[in-house]
Amino acid sequence: MPDTSVMKQVSDVSWDIPVSYKPGMNVPARIYATKKLLDAMDSGVIEQATNVACLPGIVRYSYAMADAHWGYGFPIGGVAAFDTEKGVISPGGVGFDVNCGMRLIRTNLRFSDVKPKIKELVDLIFSLVPAGVGVKGSQNFTQSQMGDITSLGVRWCAENDLAWDDDPAHVEEGGFIKGADISKVSRQAISRGVSQFGTLGSGNHYLEIQVVDPARYLDRGLAGEFGIIYDDQVMVMIHCGSRGFGHQVCSDYLRTFESGMKRFGIDVRDRDLACLPFASREGQDYYSAMVCAANFAFVNRQIIVNKVREAFSRVFRKDAESLDMHLIYDVCHNVAKVENHSYDGSKAKVLVHRKGATRSFGPGHPDVPAAYRSIGQPVIIGGSMETGSYLLIGTQKAMEDTFGSTAHGSGRTMSRTAAKREVRGAELQRRMLDRGIYVKAATMDGLAEEAGMAYKDISEVVETMDRAGISKKVAALRPVGNIKG
Amino acid sequence: MTFKFLPDVALADIAFEAESDTLDGLFEACASAVTDIMVDPSTLGKGVERKFSLESESIDRLLYDFLTELIVAKDVDSLLFGEFEVSVSPAGTSLEALARGEAIDRVRHRLRNDVKAVTMHLFGVKHIGAKWKTTVVLDI
Repeated sequence: MPDTSVMKQVSDVSWDIPVSYKPGMNVPARIYATKKLLDAMDSGVIEQATNVACLPGIVRYSYAMADAHWGYGFPIGGVAAFDTEKGVISPGGVGFDVNCGMRLIRTNLRFSDVKPKIKELVDLIFSLVPAGVGVKGSQNFTQSQMGDITSLGVRWCAENDLAWDDDPAHVEEGGFIKGADISKVSRQAISRGVSQFGTLGSGNHYLEIQVVDPARYLDRGLAGEFGIIYDDQVMVMIHCGSRGFGHQVCSDYLRTFESGMKRFGIDVRDRDLACLPFASREGQDYYSAMVCAANFAFVNRQIIVNKVREAFSRVFRKDAESLDMHLIYDVCHNVAKVENHSYDGSKAKVLVHRKGATRSFGPGHPDVPAAYRSIGQPVIIGGSMETGSYLLIGTQKAMEDTFGSTAHGSGRTMSRTAAKREVRGAELQRRMLDRGIYVKAATMDGLAEEAGMAYKDISEVVETMDRAGISKKVAALRPVGNIKG
Repeated sequence: MTFKFLPDVALADIAFEAESDTLDGLFEACASAVTDIMVDPSTLGKGVERKFSLESESIDRLLYDFLTELIVAKDVDSLLFGEFEVSVSPAGTSLEALARGEAIDRVRHRLRNDVKAVTMHLFGVKHIGAKWKTTVVLDI
């Protein structure tokens, strides 16, 4: 339990830690949490958020969202914005899995349509979307294509008949972040990634068939803006990232950054906070490589979507277009991006690191797709495989308070080993089936590690961010089918 | 040479501690730990041999690079290795290693977690008394 005596309560869901808390803090830290979440938060979050506050060029606050837990350097659930000229970029502020993120697809199916076919559907998707140790994808891209793929992201997919025409517009950044440069990515990263497109990975990654859950929450008016018109409408959610490609990019540049800090006179409180000036050659090289990895992840999720559409089409004997399987949206939750923000009375470009945090842009923002611009950017916050997830929208308050950022998930409370001690995978699988959730997992150990008890209460996390005005709830989604690596 | 997992070190990932009387043994223990996270080694054959020859600026970096090579081999060539013979130079800045294993077989192998990267968290090779020791946290 963290020491809350050092904090100043700002609202019922936000707490500040002043710069006097630790020598070297350039800005205060701000924690978003109910008292209940705060009391349960590991004290590592406070330590890490206040360490991040010491980094050169950080502006306003070092943030920790309601799902925050201890990470490497930055807490998971951490957000920090930096002056692009005087500030730093940190691979630890992005995470190993660059653009780990969430994609949500709707269907026009109702639960009564899907329930009798859930096993057939999940089993088919499991066979089409590889998951687990060392899996290879079915897409045979070549290393020579990687430059274009990681530069153009989902737009490349659309140009090569691997995406629907309207898919790119429904992905953050239009499906690709500008600034990619494959020459800044190592041969090892390219080799690792080239055969992994369309794979789910393992750990906390999943593909879930979900049903709208009005008993938990549903704003029918807002939901309708996303094509959600039934109280039991079926959706599909995908959670995965940039696979070995992104991990290798992070590993490569952590090494470069650690050895480069002395040259720039940067000293950090935690080795995992290795950082260099964003304006430096190495900083720019990492950014370009990170963008390649982010675009890789967008493409990875696109290839998976294609397989999901194929599976639904085969099981329901209708084409995916007739099943209205359009993207609602795709969000990053591990990334650093240059964005325009207003703060302290002026507008500026800042480098926003979101590590286990989601962009939450409000109504009217030009980066929100035209279809949603009047209401705000869709935000997808994923819970554990037992508790379900949420669709929300971004707000103007997020723009004012958190550089347009909100939480990303429920956050772990228990280690993988501890979770496996509490429950066996096979037993958990049976229990979930009894509760109406059919799970197909690559390994039973992996399943046990992802048990719901290992995570915070997603509803409490989402409620916190809603009460803070940072992201507004639209619909709760409960799982009925799940694929885990 | 031994390794043991540390259940409370990393919430979302997996950590282990390894020790050995020799530096060679430490590297072998760490490699075995990485494999153990990914597969039940008793289900892994030894029909494929791969040699590794690495140079680095320090013992820490050498171990980091060696374990990273194993992760890369898993992703690029679908190889998992269960037996290691490592020879680290006296300066600790280069090694020659022979690893024995086989290609991933999803039917025969009892696969576990997919290791994606070695983190720098708590990472460091120490020589304490007569023992070489290290702690490694792996991103899953």
